Amino acid sequence: MYFEDVELGDEIGPLEKIASDQDVIDFCNLWGPPTPNRFTDANEAAKSKLSSPIVPGIMTMALMAQLFTDWASQDSLKDLNLVFRQSVPHNKPLIIGATITDTREEGGEHLIDCDVVMTGQERERYVIGTATVSLPSRNSQ
Amino acid sequence: MAMELDYDKSLYGIEHKAGPFEVTKEMVLAFSKSIGQRGEIYNDESAALAAGFKGVVAPPTMCTLMVRHVKLPDIKLSEAHGKARFHAGQRVQTRSNITAGDSLTASSHLKEVYSKTGRSGTMVFIVWETTFSNQEGEVVADVEESFAVRE
Repeated sequence: MYFEDVELGDEIGPLEKIASDQDVIDFCNLWGPPTPNRFTDANEAAKSKLSSPIVPGIMTMALMAQLFTDWASQDSLKDLNLVFRQSVPHNKPLIIGATITDTREEGGEHLIDCDVVMTGQERERYVIGTATVSLPSRNSQ
Repeated sequence: MAMELDYDKSLYGIEHKAGPFEVTKEMVLAFSKSIGQRGEIYNDESAALAAGFKGVVAPPTMCTLMVRHVKLPDIKLSEAHGKARFHAGQRVQTRSNITAGDSLTASSHLKEVYSKTGRSGTMVFIVWETTFSNQEGEVVADVEESFAVRE
């Protein structure tokens, strides 16, 4: 993907991800939050008034980052800024998409800015935010 | 009129440090697997080396795993603002690649505390910023975490 190939309003994605119970357990084993917790334990989730364990915010962020690493070159994501609107469930399709809102050159880099959103199958808006991606330019080749 | 927030404002300007955190190949591979990241440079050391990286590459937000290991003080926000806390937002600005073999240090500070009033009432937001540097002293990422407090 090159900078010259994108235009304002272009859509990126959608990318569909699912965070299974095991994926979240594996993530938490690496991350190390106190156990039991609302991410892996139904009782702890219930104490937090959640209907079931939820995906950690930083795991949700990692899932959303893949929209951009899949689309552009793999080390192109410069900035990802997210607001968590609703708890993200396990085992349900999570649909991630972005819309390009600006293209610019700054500090010798060719950058695109996007609005990004993660929704559920019923179009629940779990996460909203913005992202900035650096793309190579054909003119630099 | 802005709400006057009651908390320990002496925390501004203080850096809280942690690390070093060793970035191992096993950590990168486990992280990539747990999030279903199949990109070659995040999973295959030879592909990463062929692409010019020093080792298998950490997916761009992996350093957020380490933020919780920084011991952050309680800002002593008055309970008048509420007791329920939740993770409201997160920002990662990548400055340089992180690869297996890197050793990261973290430095966190209180960035800001502010209130917002919406349909569901007033919430107070507490924002911490963490800067990660590698063994060369190069800043590799800045992470902001925002926590909301409400009734």
